[in-house]
Amino acid sequence: MARATTTCDIFNALAESKRRTVIDLLLDKELSVSELVQATGWNQPVVSKHLGVLREVGLVHEQRAGRNRIYSLNLDALQPMHDWLEQFSEYWNRNLNQLDDYLIRLQAGDKK
Amino acid sequence: MTNEKISVEPLVLTKEYSAPRALVFDCWTKSEHLCNWQFPMPGFRCEFLQDDIKVGGSALHKMIMPSGGEMYLLTEYDEISPPDKIVFRQYDSNAEGEKLPNAHMPGWPKELVATVLLENSGDGTLMTFTWEPLNPTAEEAAVFSAAVDKVGGGWGGGFEQLAAYLATV
Repeated sequence: MARATTTCDIFNALAESKRRTVIDLLLDKELSVSELVQATGWNQPVVSKHLGVLREVGLVHEQRAGRNRIYSLNLDALQPMHDWLEQFSEYWNRNLNQLDDYLIRLQAGDKK
Repeated sequence: MTNEKISVEPLVLTKEYSAPRALVFDCWTKSEHLCNWQFPMPGFRCEFLQDDIKVGGSALHKMIMPSGGEMYLLTEYDEISPPDKIVFRQYDSNAEGEKLPNAHMPGWPKELVATVLLENSGDGTLMTFTWEPLNPTAEEAAVFSAAVDKVGGGWGGGFEQLAAYLATV
C-alpha cells in the first residue's frame, strides 16, 4: 500500500547495522551490487535485500548501467535527522563546557 | 519491524577537567553545584524542586529561560558511588515531576542511562560520560545509533576547542 515515506521509516531502515555499513560504503562513492558484495563479503541476496529497504525510504538511488545497477546515496533524506543530531550534540557540548567554566570559577574562589 | 538483533553503540564523551576528582563528583551530585552548570545555555536560572540525589532517589530541576519560560528535567539515580561513578536517567518532565514524551524528535529513546566515570589524571580529572538507551525499540536504537555516529564526530571538534582553551588558563 503506497504511503509517503516518514522520518520514522528512515530510522527503521537504519536500525539494522548492515544497512549502516552499506551507507558508509556509499558515502565514498556510488557502487554496483557486485562491488558492494565484494566490499562487504555478504552474499548477493543479502546485499540486494538491504539495498531494497534503503531504496524504498529514499536513502539510495538506483540507476541502470547496462546489465549493472549502480547505487548512490541520497543524503537529502537524512537532513531531518542531521538537524536534530546537531541540536543534541550542541546541548551536551554546552552543558559540559559550562561545568568546565564553573569548576574554574569555583576554584578561583568565586562561589557566586 | 523485524526481529533482527539490534546493536546499539553507546555514546561515549570524554573530557578532562582541571579540578580534583572529589570536586567534579560533587558538581554532579549536589544540587547547589548542578544549578551552576546543568542548563541549556547561559542566561538560564535554575532551581531544584526536589533534590533527593541518592541511589533510588530523584531530582526535579526547574530551568527558567531568559524569556521567563520554564522547563523541567527529572533525574533518577541508579548508582552514586564516590569517588568515581554516577549512573542516572534523565527525562523531560512537567512541574509535577511526571515524565513527558520527548518533544524534540519522534523515535528518540524514551529511556537513556547515563554513566559518569571519573579518574584522577595528573592534577585534574578525566571524565568518561556514557549514554545508552534502556531496552530500546528498533526505531529508538536506530535514532540513537545515528546520533552516536554524528555526535562522535561533533565532539572531536569540541574536544579540540576545549584543549586549546585550557592551554590558555
